[in-house]
Amino acid sequence: MKQASRSLPQRILVLALASTMLSACVTSRVENVRANATGISEGEGIVIMAKSYHLGNETEAKFITCVGNSIGSGSSGLRVVPNAEFVDALFPWFEPRTAPAETKGLPTLMSRPGVAQKIKDKGIRYVVWLDGDTDKVAGGGSMSCAAGPGGGGCFGFAWWQNDSNYEADVWDLTGLEDVGTVSADVSGTSFLPAIVIPIPLIARTQSKACNALADQLKLFIVSDEAV
Amino acid sequence: MSHRFRTSFATVIVIGIAGCGGAKVTLHNPTIPEPLIDQLPLSVMARYPKVFDNFVHEEQVIGKEKWSIDLGRSNRLLFTKLFTSMFTEFKVVEGDVDAQDLTFDALIEPSIDAFEFSVPSQSQTDDFAVWIRYRLKIYDQGGVLIANWPIAAYGKSQSTTFGSDEALRRAAVLAMRDAAALIILQMDKATGISKLSHANAHETAMPAAPSTEDITLQTAAEEIPDETG
Repeated sequence: MKQASRSLPQRILVLALASTMLSACVTSRVENVRANATGISEGEGIVIMAKSYHLGNETEAKFITCVGNSIGSGSSGLRVVPNAEFVDALFPWFEPRTAPAETKGLPTLMSRPGVAQKIKDKGIRYVVWLDGDTDKVAGGGSMSCAAGPGGGGCFGFAWWQNDSNYEADVWDLTGLEDVGTVSADVSGTSFLPAIVIPIPLIARTQSKACNALADQLKLFIVSDEAV
Repeated sequence: MSHRFRTSFATVIVIGIAGCGGAKVTLHNPTIPEPLIDQLPLSVMARYPKVFDNFVHEEQVIGKEKWSIDLGRSNRLLFTKLFTSMFTEFKVVEGDVDAQDLTFDALIEPSIDAFEFSVPSQSQTDDFAVWIRYRLKIYDQGGVLIANWPIAAYGKSQSTTFGSDEALRRAAVLAMRDAAALIILQMDKATGISKLSHANAHETAMPAAPSTEDITLQTAAEEIPDETG
């Protein structure tokens, strides 16, 4: 019993070390371009939106959720209004077909009945428009698996490279202007060697892009540096 | 133990194969929020086709799975919610009621021309997509067809996020919301429905001859092309 209680932390340590060693490498580049000054006051919030699929955008819904959660979490987290709540409250002006594609459409949008008041009631200062996606850009190798009554196994080696390219365009609903963009470009190669048991070494590019973009967006919005 | 493992393994395989075999999706209460719009000062009635009470569409992917979506009364709910928000007075006329006995500015008869969807195995993406072609026929108090307006709506949702059933359901809701947005944005421009209130007032004052405006309106409505081809 005593031996078992000692082995549990050791096992956790081994697993943690193994998972650290087994994760594949990724390279990332995060940039921001500021067009206007930002800043956010107490009670003001942001909403994360995907650019319309009518414009050819393919941003994954789980990426939008991830960025929203990351920006809203932590001691320096911002107030993030849920995307669905915002779109429903302003129906039909932020549907994929009707959402403004450029800031020059904002004055017309704000002049529509009830829109400005609803945005004020929700305390939304910034709309962050996400664009981009994660693609498999290359891959190779081969692997074969077989299973029978006596058991199964895999042999071979496979690899693939994922690129996650995302851009966040930040609109200030107070000044009705585009305040700048933040972009994250993350690339990584995953490996899957298999000798009976496949051992995945996954490059989590999308997750890395989400965290990098969210951290940079937080800094970008909170910062009061002049242009 | 070995037998139990084999049984579990076989069960997983069977479930996995069955999971690729399509699904039956139901949608009976689509989320159509209250729109932020000014109402048109019109007394409008709507008559729905029977299919609006129980709409089911099936799609057989050749050589693969069979999908079906049951919208139930969703279309009726969509248009009732939409028209109640758009017009100051709105009522639904049931099929057996003669519209000649009623007083209104416009009678709208929505219908579905076509309903289609695509699943990931067809599009080779993670997306479910839904296309709905609605048609709105608008009549004045005299029973004259004022406008015959086709509407093409589209919705798309990713299966990896919501699971297959939920993704198809969400794509259908997005298509219905797209139709609602399109109707709100373009209905008056495409059909000239707001002029019907004035037309009624004008007819009351001068019942002898139709105005030039009425004739123009009817012509414009007849000339609206069917963009769906």
